[in-house]
Amino acid sequence: MSLTRRTLMAGAGALAGAATLGRDAGAQQRLNVGVVLIGPVGDFGWSHMHDQGRRRMSELLGDRVNATTVESVAPPDFDRVVTQLVRTGHRLIFTTSFSYFAPTQRLAPQHPQVFFENATGPTTLPNMAIYNARFYEGRYIQGVIAARKSRSKTIGYVATFPVPEVIHAINTVMRGAWSVDPSMKVRVVWVNAWSNPAREADAARALIDQGCDVLCSHTDGPAPLQLANERGVFGFGQASDMTRFAPRAHLTSSVNNWGDYYAERARAVIDGSWRPTDTWGGLGSGMFRMAPWTNMTPEEVSEAERVRDAIAAGTLHPFEGPIVRQDGTQVIAQGQRLTDDQIRAMNYFYRGIDVAIPG
Amino acid sequence: MRLVLEKRAETPFALRLLSPLLAVALTLVSAVIIFAAMGQDPLHALTVFFILPLSDSWGLQEVAVKATPLVLISVGLALCYRSNNWNIGAEGQFLVGAMAGGWLALATHGAPDGPWLMPAMLVCGALGGALFALIPALLKTRFGANEILTSLMLVYVAELLLDWLVRGPWRDPQGFNMPVTVGFEPEAIVPLLLEGGRLNIGTPIALLVVVLAAVLMGRTLKGFEIRLVGEAPRAARFAGFSADRLTWTVFAISGGLAGLAGVLEAAGTVRMLQPGISPGYGFTAIIVAFLGRLNPVGCLIAGVFLAVTFIGAENAQIMLKLPLDVTRVFQGLLLFYVLACDTLLLYRPRLVRSVAA
Repeated sequence: MSLTRRTLMAGAGALAGAATLGRDAGAQQRLNVGVVLIGPVGDFGWSHMHDQGRRRMSELLGDRVNATTVESVAPPDFDRVVTQLVRTGHRLIFTTSFSYFAPTQRLAPQHPQVFFENATGPTTLPNMAIYNARFYEGRYIQGVIAARKSRSKTIGYVATFPVPEVIHAINTVMRGAWSVDPSMKVRVVWVNAWSNPAREADAARALIDQGCDVLCSHTDGPAPLQLANERGVFGFGQASDMTRFAPRAHLTSSVNNWGDYYAERARAVIDGSWRPTDTWGGLGSGMFRMAPWTNMTPEEVSEAERVRDAIAAGTLHPFEGPIVRQDGTQVIAQGQRLTDDQIRAMNYFYRGIDVAIPG
Repeated sequence: MRLVLEKRAETPFALRLLSPLLAVALTLVSAVIIFAAMGQDPLHALTVFFILPLSDSWGLQEVAVKATPLVLISVGLALCYRSNNWNIGAEGQFLVGAMAGGWLALATHGAPDGPWLMPAMLVCGALGGALFALIPALLKTRFGANEILTSLMLVYVAELLLDWLVRGPWRDPQGFNMPVTVGFEPEAIVPLLLEGGRLNIGTPIALLVVVLAAVLMGRTLKGFEIRLVGEAPRAARFAGFSADRLTWTVFAISGGLAGLAGVLEAAGTVRMLQPGISPGYGFTAIIVAFLGRLNPVGCLIAGVFLAVTFIGAENAQIMLKLPLDVTRVFQGLLLFYVLACDTLLLYRPRLVRSVAA
């Protein structure tokens, strides 16, 4: 038989086919999981913790998953990154920001064989689940600790955007603080960014200058806490354990733990039980935990732990009635509790918070 | 003893042309070293980085989508810089263009509209960018204010204006208070050109702009005026050219092109207005303009090259698990080599004995 171009081509085709087959067999064992991050892995906050979650998932599932992180993906680049992940065989994709909600919603129907998960989005699709953590539970504990620690009776809050997530967090901090001392006040500075260390530090400086001696922050990085350390006041870490950034100021941090959830979802895809769920986990389900208590007396620690355990067990609920708006109208009466939808849409401050919501 | 740079009497034309290629070659050599140091097979890594984005229709379309705003903005900037007008604020003009075009999309949202909407949005975007760019032009010609500072500072004005609009009057009522507008309606979205990709009419527009700018610079009196004012302002004055009028013209052109890029991006890839609408296109385009030797065709080549490195960086993250910072190092190295090559080709370093004071 003479070696013609056609037989050569056929041979090459068979080889390529065998290679593809081999790859497919490997892919069946290993689930490719993509994680799209809005910020850099090194922000020590939101995106960092999602990347930590990706690592934890890989630890838990070992060879069964192959995880990929793409960081600092701006909205104009999002479609391409997700499409490329799909094209390279990723079947489970976590899009870890509310900013990705609308584009994920647009892309999910184009790739029905791929499972999407959007962090903090409001609605699901047949192949798109949503997930978030009940961070407000940690905020309540922060309020309790802040009220114990503050001498000036004023908490400073470095806030990001006036979205419900942040508004209900400020409300819960104050609910926690009032449970200790009803005369507690809060001051808020909006930095209009999730991550902008310079503006965060300026906001913290302004709050301390206005007499706040315990700082809460909603931004992604440790800048406000570091400034608190410098100025000799207290503060809380956000997203990751930030003790090392502020050894004298740090009280506790809400430490996000996405890894267990990611592992659970990857397992669901592998065994075919994945459903487009709406998950909103809290201290009880381990979506986040409180970092080691530091710079606190044993009594303060035991009180914080008592509150934490009560919230985790469901005996203490931060959104119990009565809840009265800033303008005096009652939302719910004593004995009632806000529904998840009401919490998610919260657009008002409680009575007793004399701060205006901008916009 | 000290090191001084002396201008060479003349630099061969071929060397001027070769300088950017030399810079790219040096970047590639550095890339090989970096990849090897990170434990990657350099050849495979370079393939993922530079070849894969160009290997199929989808990839090519994405390169075009990414390069389009860079090319549009950098061509305008090249005209500016050639005439010695230093517009650093293209990022702001880009955002104002997005806002001006987006305004029309939002104003007609839910109202009957038609095929006139998209062209009208593009015109609005270009006009918005041009008017915004005329502010530094006015400040320069009327008050002698340094346009580098004014145009740069207006970027922050534009960013904050967009921020305010999407958090205030233009906020999507159903958007959970997030700083985003409603999604644009289909009529207000830039039409796609091919199936299975995102190539849109922005790319042919950018190519047309490159051709027009090349003709303008090479074949018209205006082009001569731009070059003359930039290279020999005194001679230009004797020739009767008004440097002030030219400042207005080039700022309007570059602002208009940046604004056009802005509305194309808002209505093409993002399909709504939100603060993160530009990943720094206006600033990256400055690199593109210089990499392209302030020449429209050069800008096209440089824009495509930079777009490939951006997409290559995403591929490297996805397929090689390399961190994003590696790309940033690349782009930094590339600009560094371009400037270094240029300097050494145009100037000669020489050690001179210091004269006793």
